[in-house]
Amino acid sequence: MIIRLKDINKTYPGAVPLHVLKGITLDIDRGELVSIMGASGSGKSTLLNILGILDNYDSGEYYLDGTLIKNLSENRAAELRNRMIGFVFQSFNLISYKNAMENVALPLFYQGVSRRKRNAMAMEQLERMGLADRARHLPSEMSGGQKQRVAIARALITRPSIILADEPTGALDSKTSGDVMQVLRNLNSEGMTIVIVTHDPGVGAQTGRIIRITDGLITQ
Amino acid sequence: MFDLFREISQTLRNNKLRTALTGFAVAWGIFMLIILLGMSRGVYNNFNSFASADNANTMGVWGGWTSKAYKGYKEGRSIGLKDSDLPKIMQSDRRRISSAQGSIVLDSANISTATDYITDAMYGRYPDEVRYAKLRMAYGRFLNQPDMDMKRKVVVISRQNARILFGDESKAVGQYVKAMSLAWQVIGVYDHDWERGSYVPYTTAMMLNGNDGRLSEIMVRITDVHTIEEGEDVEQSVKTALAAAHEFSPDDRSAIHIWNRFNNYLSNMQATGILNIAIWIIGLLTMLSGIVGVSNIMFVSVRERTHEIGIRRAIGAKPRSILLQIVTESVAITTLFGYIGIVMGTIVTGLVAKLTEGTDFLKDPTVNISIAVQVTIVLIIAGALAGLFPAIKATKVKPVEALRDE
Repeated sequence: MIIRLKDINKTYPGAVPLHVLKGITLDIDRGELVSIMGASGSGKSTLLNILGILDNYDSGEYYLDGTLIKNLSENRAAELRNRMIGFVFQSFNLISYKNAMENVALPLFYQGVSRRKRNAMAMEQLERMGLADRARHLPSEMSGGQKQRVAIARALITRPSIILADEPTGALDSKTSGDVMQVLRNLNSEGMTIVIVTHDPGVGAQTGRIIRITDGLITQ
Repeated sequence: MFDLFREISQTLRNNKLRTALTGFAVAWGIFMLIILLGMSRGVYNNFNSFASADNANTMGVWGGWTSKAYKGYKEGRSIGLKDSDLPKIMQSDRRRISSAQGSIVLDSANISTATDYITDAMYGRYPDEVRYAKLRMAYGRFLNQPDMDMKRKVVVISRQNARILFGDESKAVGQYVKAMSLAWQVIGVYDHDWERGSYVPYTTAMMLNGNDGRLSEIMVRITDVHTIEEGEDVEQSVKTALAAAHEFSPDDRSAIHIWNRFNNYLSNMQATGILNIAIWIIGLLTMLSGIVGVSNIMFVSVRERTHEIGIRRAIGAKPRSILLQIVTESVAITTLFGYIGIVMGTIVTGLVAKLTEGTDFLKDPTVNISIAVQVTIVLIIAGALAGLFPAIKATKVKPVEALRDE
């Protein structure tokens, strides 16, 4: 069991407090390819933020790879994100003035890995994504599909426990979407646990299990 | 570190005009600080060349005119100091007065050789005058004790006068000059910034003066005096001793005149110290506008890069590394442009030093390495402070919020 959620509740405070997650209980096994689907406002992004240790929850328990993720300090959260989670975002979130290799190598910078070593490791990941010839290109010089593959290479470089993908094909045309999904499925077949948040049924259909969220509760 | 500088140069290149303006403000502030400190050094050095610690332990005493009737004497009586006053002054404060020496000034003496003549002051002094007057011996020697004991007719003259009298100052030593109808042997030639007079042994001058014991000035050397109060205390003892010897009122302010170089020196030192502090304050305030500019540029930079900071936080940057990055960036900008200011300031003070060489009000108005080091430390601290608040703001960036866009 790589992810274990027990009765997770989350409320956004405000004039009218918003109870977003109303008791989520969910287990994901190692090596699974899971999609979380739901309408906008259903709470699926909040769930992804909690899974990615980007946000706190109010009550319940979240174990990631055996570690209880609760009330962590900013520093500890950053460390766990760095080592255990690989993020893939809809809008790629590459740093615009860094070339592909530097973007991929960035997580290792925060582990204190030397420049030469992390660049070598970044090249390895880029080759795996078939982008070795784009290593020196800036994000603005690459297509959407290429950028997303650079982002996936960045997510993989720290050998994380899971990959969290937030609408990874949302900004891509159908052909490139297919390519990116193929990359993710290949990774999964090599044993990587992947959680994809999407509202695209086509993407959901390509995953091993679909978890539907409606109004802060898992419905299926 | 390399990555950091790569990122800093990237940020600076993205905002050329803003960087240039802010950089100018910092460089200007530092430039002004250096110029002001250089000028204050110049004034300080100038004071120092007149009143150095070497001869600061000296009081000059001259006779004057009484302004009060005392013990049956009317006011307006001339007080002439005498050789016999010397031991009385010594006894007035044995602990703090190390010596009392007489000095005789033979004004406007004619000194001549076969070729030319000069009219200049002639001083009857003690051998240690060479140290107190800061004379640099160019040729020969200064007066010594045997000259004093034997009342030799020997003279030490200035380089300028030696040139006039002998054509070539290196040939003066050993030759004779005529003064006051006597032949004097030149035993030395000295160099000095402004002193031109000739020096003869005090005892010889006393004899020439008619042996009546009158002298022109008494120089009192003091030791173990550290404050203005102690200096005034010694001054008062000298005055009391002379009042008793010459029978004038001890509180008569014009019967004798005392020039207390020690107290002069102390007040000069205090004045230059205050000047120095004032200059630092003005300089730092000038710099402040530059620092505010850097702080501003960093705030804007943090705001523009909120999204980037969010990405970095998401992939594992700790708040500490974000803080360090912004502060280092700020220190780098401040130090870079500050250094330009230091270099420009040093060049300009160097030019001013060249232009004012030999003038009366500035002497060597340049900054030394210790000031450069102090200014550099100030720069680094200022840069860190300028970057601190923007950096703290950057660490408050929540990755969730920074990424929620587009």
